[in-house]
Amino acid sequence: MEILLQNFDMIMFLTLMVIGYGMGTWAEKRHYRSIEQREKELIKLAVVTAEGSFPDGKVADSTLVSGSVVISIDYFKRLLAILRNIFGGRVKSYESLVDRARREAILRMKEQAKEQGAGMIINMRLETATIGRSANKKKRVGSIEAFAYGTAIVMNKT
Amino acid sequence: MKFTPKQLDENVNVSKTHPLVELLWLIGGLALIAGSVFFLLGVTTDWAAKKTPVRVESWLGNLAINEFPAEESPALQQRLDALLAVTPEGSPLHDYHFKIYRVETEDVNALALPGGRIVVFDGLLEQVESENELAMILAHELGHFAHRDHLRGLGRGLGLAVASILFLGEDNSASDLISKSLLTFQVKYSQDQESAADQFGVDLLTARYGHAGGATTFFARLAEDAGSKIPYVLASHPHPDNRIDALNERIEQKSYTIEKTLPVAKDLLLPQ
Repeated sequence: MEILLQNFDMIMFLTLMVIGYGMGTWAEKRHYRSIEQREKELIKLAVVTAEGSFPDGKVADSTLVSGSVVISIDYFKRLLAILRNIFGGRVKSYESLVDRARREAILRMKEQAKEQGAGMIINMRLETATIGRSANKKKRVGSIEAFAYGTAIVMNKT
Repeated sequence: MKFTPKQLDENVNVSKTHPLVELLWLIGGLALIAGSVFFLLGVTTDWAAKKTPVRVESWLGNLAINEFPAEESPALQQRLDALLAVTPEGSPLHDYHFKIYRVETEDVNALALPGGRIVVFDGLLEQVESENELAMILAHELGHFAHRDHLRGLGRGLGLAVASILFLGEDNSASDLISKSLLTFQVKYSQDQESAADQFGVDLLTARYGHAGGATTFFARLAEDAGSKIPYVLASHPHPDNRIDALNERIEQKSYTIEKTLPVAKDLLLPQ
């Protein structure tokens, strides 16, 4: 018992690591399943980064649509990233995190556009931001925000 | 141009490496680097500790002792001098100018500070039941000086802290992790030092009294209070039982005899 108390912070660290890995992996798998399914459902709604030009009378309405999401890193991903900081190279543990955030943000934007009956989104842009300036500081777990916005076009029925 | 929606099966934005595999590689690399730094550091400080003149060490010790509320004890000094008189010629101990201090605390402990200063706590003196036991404890502390342990410990700890801050920055979880895991090795190292000091102690005790009586009795009393061995895996000192076993082995190997011990003389009895 005494030995457990003496090494309390080490045990705390390992526990957080195991929880981080377990929960993180589970949440990520679940999220990817949901992303893939919703992407399939919304695949007909085209999203392009081009400005687009339309013949007169073709566009009924155009509005700004946006979608944003905040995803937190877990202790395990953070540990991998910290260790990566020493050796350099690709921070693989954060790749899936940013990928999920971007795709989720685009999906939310598309869902908003669909509600308005839009046929396509043009001029789509993506922004990312870290939440909290302490995101990379000691003992803090940061989050990433991805923000997607574009112009939803409602076509005239012909 | 016709727009054809298509779902991509491959995701090029996410690496395929399994996170646990990556963790293993990173930890492995880190352990290799930290291990070799620690090893080099250990070799260098051991070497430096051996080469450090006693003069430099005394100067260091002067800085340390000012922090200690202790008074010199003539009674203990007399016993220490008797031990030093029987120290073999050529021992580095003869270069020191030893001073011994008493501190009024309940802790059962004695310390070897750099520069030939020994601190004995009153709690320890209360537990001592014979002159031989006291001589054994003092000889054990002299063993630390003979092996320059206090300097070596200082060097390793300091070197490790500096290296980890230099490489990883002051406020880094990785440096926390490294120092914690390396401290486990440090502990093993310090247990080895304690055992070596015990061996030195029993030799000196025998030289002083002509027999090894009282070498183990003090630890035997400690062992009764110490309980389970498990917490001692990470302690700086070995478990008293293990110390007794090692001492008995030494006594047998050198064929020391064990005779009757002398009771503690009046000049050391604590004022009641």
